[in-house]
Amino acid sequence: MSGEAIAFYMLAVLAAGSALGCVIATNIVRMALCLLGTLGAVALLYFLMAANFLGVIQLIVYAGGTLILIVFGIMVTSRMYGEKLKPRRSEALIGALVVLALFAGLVAILWRGPWVTVVPTEQPNSVAAIGQALLGTYLVPFELASVLLLAVMIGAAYLAQPAARNGRGTEREE
Amino acid sequence: MEENTLSSQPAAPGAIRTEEMLVNMGPQHPSTHGVLRLMLRTDGELVLETIPHIGYLHRCAEKIGENVTPVQFVPICDRLDYLAGMNNDHGYSLAVEKLCGLEVPERGHYIRVIMCELNRIASHLVSFGCYGMDIGAFTPFLYAFREREYILDLFEATCGARLTYNYLTIGGASLDLPEGFVDRLAWFLDYFEPKIDEYNNLLSYNYIFVKRTANVGVISVADAIAYGLTGPCLRGSGVKWDLRRCAPYEIYDRFEFDIPVGMPGGSNGIPPEVVVGDSWSRYYVRMLEMKQSVRILRQCLQQMPAGEFRAKVPRTLKLPAGEVYLEVEGVRGQLGFLVVGENKPIPRRVKIRGPSFCNLSIVPHVCRQVLLADVPAIVGSIDVVMGEVDR
Amino acid sequence: MGSILRKVAFPIFLIGVAAIIVIAWVPALLYGTVDSMRDDLGRFYKWEPRGEHATLTLDNIRQYLEGSIAGQSAPAAHIRFGRSTAAACTYVLWLLQFRITRDVLAVVGVVGFVSLFAMFAIWWERKVAARMQSRLGPMRVGGWHGWAQSLADGIKLLQKEDIFIAGADPVLFRMAAYVAFIPALGLFIALPFSAAWIARDLDVGLIFILAMYGVGVLGVLIAGWASNNKWSMFGAMREACQMISYEIPLGFALLVPIMTVGTLRLTTIGDLQSGGFQTWLAFRNPFLLAAALIFFIAALASCKRAPFDLPEAESELVAGFHTEYSGFRWALFFFAEYAEMFAAGALAAILFFGAWYSPLPAAWGESWRHGPLWQQALHGVVFSGPLWLIGKGIFFVYVQMWLRWTLPRVRLDQVMYACVQVMLPLAMLVLLANTFWEWQVRDRSVLGTVANLVCTAVGAAAVLAIIGVGLYGFINRRRLVGTQVVKHLPGA
Repeated sequence: MSGEAIAFYMLAVLAAGSALGCVIATNIVRMALCLLGTLGAVALLYFLMAANFLGVIQLIVYAGGTLILIVFGIMVTSRMYGEKLKPRRSEALIGALVVLALFAGLVAILWRGPWVTVVPTEQPNSVAAIGQALLGTYLVPFELASVLLLAVMIGAAYLAQPAARNGRGTEREE
Repeated sequence: MEENTLSSQPAAPGAIRTEEMLVNMGPQHPSTHGVLRLMLRTDGELVLETIPHIGYLHRCAEKIGENVTPVQFVPICDRLDYLAGMNNDHGYSLAVEKLCGLEVPERGHYIRVIMCELNRIASHLVSFGCYGMDIGAFTPFLYAFREREYILDLFEATCGARLTYNYLTIGGASLDLPEGFVDRLAWFLDYFEPKIDEYNNLLSYNYIFVKRTANVGVISVADAIAYGLTGPCLRGSGVKWDLRRCAPYEIYDRFEFDIPVGMPGGSNGIPPEVVVGDSWSRYYVRMLEMKQSVRILRQCLQQMPAGEFRAKVPRTLKLPAGEVYLEVEGVRGQLGFLVVGENKPIPRRVKIRGPSFCNLSIVPHVCRQVLLADVPAIVGSIDVVMGEVDR
Repeated sequence: MGSILRKVAFPIFLIGVAAIIVIAWVPALLYGTVDSMRDDLGRFYKWEPRGEHATLTLDNIRQYLEGSIAGQSAPAAHIRFGRSTAAACTYVLWLLQFRITRDVLAVVGVVGFVSLFAMFAIWWERKVAARMQSRLGPMRVGGWHGWAQSLADGIKLLQKEDIFIAGADPVLFRMAAYVAFIPALGLFIALPFSAAWIARDLDVGLIFILAMYGVGVLGVLIAGWASNNKWSMFGAMREACQMISYEIPLGFALLVPIMTVGTLRLTTIGDLQSGGFQTWLAFRNPFLLAAALIFFIAALASCKRAPFDLPEAESELVAGFHTEYSGFRWALFFFAEYAEMFAAGALAAILFFGAWYSPLPAAWGESWRHGPLWQQALHGVVFSGPLWLIGKGIFFVYVQMWLRWTLPRVRLDQVMYACVQVMLPLAMLVLLANTFWEWQVRDRSVLGTVANLVCTAVGAAAVLAIIGVGLYGFINRRRLVGTQVVKHLPGA
C-alpha cells in the first residue's frame, strides 16, 4: 500500500471520527474541538490531493474563521459551564432514520458513479489559474457571494447595535 | 477570586443576554496600590459601580497615640504615608510644638523643609513609576526608582533609615545634617532636574499614555471640593490651593515657587486631548511639583544657616491641656493632626486626617460608566497610599 | 566543584552552539551528495532523470563511494570518505535518499529550532528588558551573563506539580495548550530559512503561514473556556477578538508584495531579492515600505505582543487566558508566542527585507557557492545563508521586545478602533496605490528608479542610524548614566 493510501485512510478515519465525536459529544465546546479535528482533516486531505490552495483556504476560512465564530457564539451565549446537551429519545430515533437514509443514498451514488481516477499532480501556477477562473468564468457567482457576505455583515452590525437605537429588545437602565 | 453572577433583568426573547458580574480587584495587586480592595460591578467591559473596601492596613495608630509620648509617637507617624515619612513626622511635630509653644531654631526649620521636599520628590517618583506600570509602561518604574535611590541614600546618610525615618521629631531634627550633605544634595539637584524633562518626554507626552489617561476620570471643581479632595487631585482639577502658599506654615513664605494646576489641553505643551480634572492632569501636576520642589530645595541650600537644629525639649515633655489641629501640605494632600493634651506627657487623643482617605472617597463617584481598563488609570492617578487611609 | 563548573560552563555553551550549527549544516551537505549521486548513477545506468522511482540500493552507493563503477570519473565530489567509514556512510546515505527520512529530519529540525529559539528568546528578553531598565538581567546561571537561565527555568517548569483546576473540562484543558502550540510549529513547515532549507516548499506558503496564525487563535479561546473561570473566558474572548481582527490588515499588507512579485511561493519571493540592498522588496517603492510597516504592526497585534497586550496583562485585575495554567503547559503557551514572534519577524524579513540574502549582491559571491567547503561556509556568512535569515528574524524580535518595554498598553477599544478605522483603510489605500503603481509605473521607468533609490536611501539611513546609536551607546557605556552600574554620588 502506497504512502498516499495510508495517509488517506488515516485522515479519513480522523475526519470521520471527529465528525462522529462532534455529533456524540454532550459538551458544547468539545463539539467545537471535534469540529476543528474534522475541518483540519479535510484540509489535510486537500493537501494530499495536491490542492494546496484549497487546503489553505479551508484552514483560513473554516478552521480560522467560521469555527472561531462558532466558538465565540457558544461562549457568549452559553449559560452554564459544562452544560450537557443530550437529545431526547424521539429526536435520536428520527435522526438515526434520516442518517441511515442519507447513508444508503451516498453509498449508492459512490458505488455506481463513474469516478475518473487521476493521479494528483501539482499544477504550476494553480493559484493564478484559480484567480483567473474566479474573475473570468465564474465572475457572477463570485460577485453574488460577495454581495451575500456584505448583506450578512450589514445585518450583523445592525443586530449588534444597542437595543435603544434600533428600538427592539429590553431597555437598559443606565 | 470570588465571583457572582447577577442578572438584573430578564433577557428579551432573541436578545443576547449579558450578565452583570462582580469583579474583585482584590487586596493583593501586582501594581502597588497597597491593600485596597475594589469591588467592581461590571456589565461586560463597562464598569457600573465601584465599591472600595478598606481597612486591610489598619494598625490602630490613633489608639497608640493615646498610649505613648509624642517623641515615641513620631516613628508611628512615619508609617502612615510610608512613602513620605518625613512629611508625616513634620506635621505631628508641628502640632505638638504648637500645643507646647516650642520654638524651633532656624536651622531646624530649613532641615525640615529640605527633608520634606526631598521626600515629596521621592514619593512623586514612586507614583510616577507605578502609574506608568499600571498603564503598561514598565521601564519608567525602574528609572524612577533609580533616581529615588539617590534620595534614599541621602536620607540614609542623615538618619540611618531609608523609608521610616523618625528624624523630624519634636523640636526640630533629631540629628544634624552629615558632612558633605549639602554638596551631595546640590549634585543631586543638578542631576535630577533635566531628568524630569526626560521622563516627561518618555511617558507624559507619549501618545498611547495620553490616550489612556486624558479625558478619563474627570473630576469637576465642584465635585472635588464637595468630596474633600486635596493635594494634586484638587490641583489637577484646576483649583490653585496649596497650604504652603495659601496658609503658610513653617518657613514656606520665604521661598518662591509656583503652584502647578491642571490646565486645558492645546497650550503650554499639553496634549490637546487633555481636559482639566482628568487623570493626565493629576499625574502631570505631580511631575510639575517635582520641579517646584527642586526649586525650593535650591533656595533652602542657599539660605540655610548654621546653628542649632533642635529646640531644647525637656526630657518629659508635658502636653498642656488644650487641643491643636494643624494641617500641613503632605504629598497627597492636606495632612492634619489633632493633638489633645491634658497636662500629662501622653496626649489624650491623637487624630490623623489622612488625605488619601478623603481622596479615595471620590472613586465610587468617578469610576462609573468607564471601561474596565480605566479603573487602574483613575485609581493610579488619585495615588492613594493605604497607610494613610487605614492608619 | 562549583567553581570548575562555572569556568567550564560558558565554553561548553559556545562549543554547543558551534556544534548545533555544524549539525544543522551536515544534512544539507549530505542531501546534496545524495542528489548528485542519484544524478550520476542515473546518467550511468540510464535511469529516468530525477525519477522518483529510482531508488538507490546499498550496493549502488557502496560502489559509487569506492569509485568502482565503470565510467565514473571520481568519487563523491563534496566529501571524501575513507574506506573505514564508507560502510557507515553507505547506510546513512541510503536512508537520506527517501522523502520520509528527510521529512523526519525536517520535523526534528523545526521542533528543535523552535525550542532552542524560545529558550534563547526568553533569556534575551530578560536581558533586553533589563538593559533598557538600567539593570543587568540574569547574570548567574551558567556563568557568562546567565545564559543557562532559560534552561534552568525549563527544568524547573518540567518538574512542577501539574495543577489541574477542579471543575475544568479535563480534555479541553489539556488540548488547549496543544491546539495553541501545534500551529506555531506548523508555521515553520512552510517557512524557508534559505532557498534549500525548507521543510516543504509549498506553492501557497505565504497563506499557509497566515492560516496557521488563524488556527492558533482557537487555542487561546479554548484555554480561556477550559479554565472554569468566567474572567479567564472573557479575557480569552477579548484577546481572540483582537487577534483575528488584526489578521485583516495583515492580509492586506501581505497582498502588496504578492502583487509585486506575482507568486505566493516564499522561496521565489526570497530569491527575487538577491541583487543587493536596493532589490529588497521594501525599498522598491514607497507603498511597499508602508506595507512593511503595516504588516509589522498587525503582526504585533496578532501575536498579542505589547503595546497590544492588554488582555494578557489585564491579569492585573482579571485573569488572562493562561492564568490557570502552570508548569510546562504554561511554558507551551509561551513557546508558541515566541515561535509566532520569530515567524512574524522572519516573514517580514523574507517578504520585505531581503530574506536570507545579505545587503551585498549574491552575484558577487557566485563562484564561492561551488567551491570547497570553507568557501561555501564563507559564502553562507557573507552573501546568503540561513544565518542571515535567523539574524534578521532575531532583529525583528528585538524590535518587538524594544517596543514592549518602551510603550504603554493600548486599551482594548482603542486597539479595535486603530484596527478598523485606521489600519484597515490605510492598508486598503496602500494596496490600491500599489496596484496603480504596478500597472502604470514599471520598474524601468524613471519614476520607478527614483522611488527605488529614495526608499533605499531611507532604509539605509534607518539601518545606519540604528547601528550608529548602538555603537555610541556601547562606546560610551561607562559614561552614560544608567547603562551600567556607575560610581555612586561623589563622596560615596
